[in-house]
Amino acid sequence: MWNRVVTPSRARPASRVRVIALAALCVAALSGCGSGGDEQAELNGMTRTPPTEVGTVSLPDESPGGDGRMTGLEGEGDGLMLVYFGYTSCPDVCPTTLADLHMALEEMPADQADRVEVGMVTVDPERDTPKVLNGYLGHFFDADGFDSFRTTDMDELARAETAFGASSKIGKPDRHGDYDVSHTAQVYAVDDTGRVLVEWPFGTPSDDIRSDLERLLSGDGPESA
Amino acid sequence: MKKAILLSVAVAGAIAIAGCGSDDSTDGTGSASGGTTVTDVWTRVTTPTQTAGAVYMTIQSPDGDTLTGASVPSSVAAEAQLHETTDEGSMDSTDSMGSDDSMDSTDSMDETHSMDSGDAMMGMKEVDQIDVPAGQSVALEPGGYHIMLIDLAKPIEEGDTIPVTLDFEQAGEIEVDATARAE
Repeated sequence: MWNRVVTPSRARPASRVRVIALAALCVAALSGCGSGGDEQAELNGMTRTPPTEVGTVSLPDESPGGDGRMTGLEGEGDGLMLVYFGYTSCPDVCPTTLADLHMALEEMPADQADRVEVGMVTVDPERDTPKVLNGYLGHFFDADGFDSFRTTDMDELARAETAFGASSKIGKPDRHGDYDVSHTAQVYAVDDTGRVLVEWPFGTPSDDIRSDLERLLSGDGPESA
Repeated sequence: MKKAILLSVAVAGAIAIAGCGSDDSTDGTGSASGGTTVTDVWTRVTTPTQTAGAVYMTIQSPDGDTLTGASVPSSVAAEAQLHETTDEGSMDSTDSMGSDDSMDSTDSMDETHSMDSGDAMMGMKEVDQIDVPAGQSVALEPGGYHIMLIDLAKPIEEGDTIPVTLDFEQAGEIEVDATARAE
């Protein structure tokens, strides 16, 4: 199809060629919609050029297996870590996202899902004690499937957020002393070199996350970037 | 000219992305009165350590109506508030969605820009009312409007039903049951 457009172009004004080429590109963009199987299928999530590097970031892991040790926010071996900044008193965005991750992992082949760790960083360390955080994540994921990152040093938290391009802000307490925390709602998939391979904005369907993960874990991701 | 091409491609790409993967489902409980109907009422299960929950639903009104408040029994939660999840900060997400080998130059341009400005934060605010325009339906759904349950009396478990009283300007009180789902 491309050749048929280009071949007669030698005899035509350049501007016409551009219009035809543009039309071809538009068609290509449209036909790419929703098809999972074509040869240059893109990831559903967002990728960056160059990719964000977070290999220098580590935070205390308060999960049962973590013992509060400083742990890198990255995958292990041939696996991925899905990093999320959130808090447990968040009624809407956080549980929606974690439920989507849970569903994506559940519907993947088990041998691939085993290579994925979820690392949640609390942006509300005061209320999210290790016990609260572990109870929360244990509701969504297997005990060995998550890391509970928590630091009470807000500068350390801010440095970790900045590395990912994320941010958070604790809101003013209401009349009951309750407060909300605004935060970046992306999920970041980090490989074992600390490179963010893809990030999913809030609301990405779990099926899209699942298919991206399956592609990345089968070595079919944007490694060439 | 180059700019025009890039723009057109971006538009085509945005259309392609927007056209993908929308699916609507309406199941769950419902209740009606005075023309205003409420369907697909659900709440998400919570963990024992969670203090807040959220109730979602779809509201339709042929003549238009306004949801002005909600309440739940104290055996469920201390308070119910109308809330809206909002985007704070700005990032044009369609521009930087995905990557395409044939458009490397545009990608790196847009994405460097969004790196600089940081990713958008999402926050919440209490709202006084939720308007349902005549003949339209308004969804209370994850990432948008929801009824926030504050200080849960006990965890919400899968299969639980939570009675919620909704106050409408036109229809008055409508009682609905929110079914707890794990999704």
